Amino acid sequence: MTWLADAPAGTTDWDRLAALCPEPFAALSGLVAAAWAECDPVLLELARLRTAALLGYTAERERRSDRARRAGLTEGKVAELPAWPTSPQFSARERACLAFTEQFVMDANGVTPSLVADVTAHLGAEGCYSFVQAVSALETFQRACLTLGIETAPDVDAHGAASTAPSGPEVPQ
Amino acid sequence: MTMTPRIPLPSDGVNELGLPDTSGWAPAITAARNRLRRAAYRMKSVDPVTTELVRIRNARYQNCYF
Repeated sequence: MTWLADAPAGTTDWDRLAALCPEPFAALSGLVAAAWAECDPVLLELARLRTAALLGYTAERERRSDRARRAGLTEGKVAELPAWPTSPQFSARERACLAFTEQFVMDANGVTPSLVADVTAHLGAEGCYSFVQAVSALETFQRACLTLGIETAPDVDAHGAASTAPSGPEVPQ
Repeated sequence: MTMTPRIPLPSDGVNELGLPDTSGWAPAITAARNRLRRAAYRMKSVDPVTTELVRIRNARYQNCYF
């Protein structure tokens, strides 16, 4: 439950806080939706769950992407996720993405050319670019939720429904 | 400060910062990130000086030269 006691009533913690600041919450939800739209759902679900584990975001670890399940991700493999470096259930492609994700979440300054090269070898340059952007988006979402004490949030696959906020003027990078 | 790209980047054009133009890659994420950035800048609950100090501090912490 969020520690913002004055948040209005709502179905989830996310809904309650989104009622206070609808535009940024819609934009963040839209960013998460875009991440899912441009990445392999199994790779991104593995990265999302590993990120949640590293950040200690228990509620996020308990959620599942139905998109990833339909693409073949099993609960058995999710259960093996802490052992991804040695478990035979993970491919070299998945290991490359998980190695990158772990370093990115723990300390982005510690991401090495080798970690990036491994992801690029499996996904290509554009795929690597998309994966890095997507992991960054999900990390932003999780850190924001953790900071705000958001335990109940939209389903993993339900983001973006209200992401068409007015575009407004351009702002500096 | 110079940085060497770690992935092969498009060579056909540069953006306004003189960097390789990657706008064609992950276009949905790029557009969504721009929407989030605009929304953050439009929030009036934090004054612009504090906002800029936080942005610069974060960039320095992340070793980001932007």
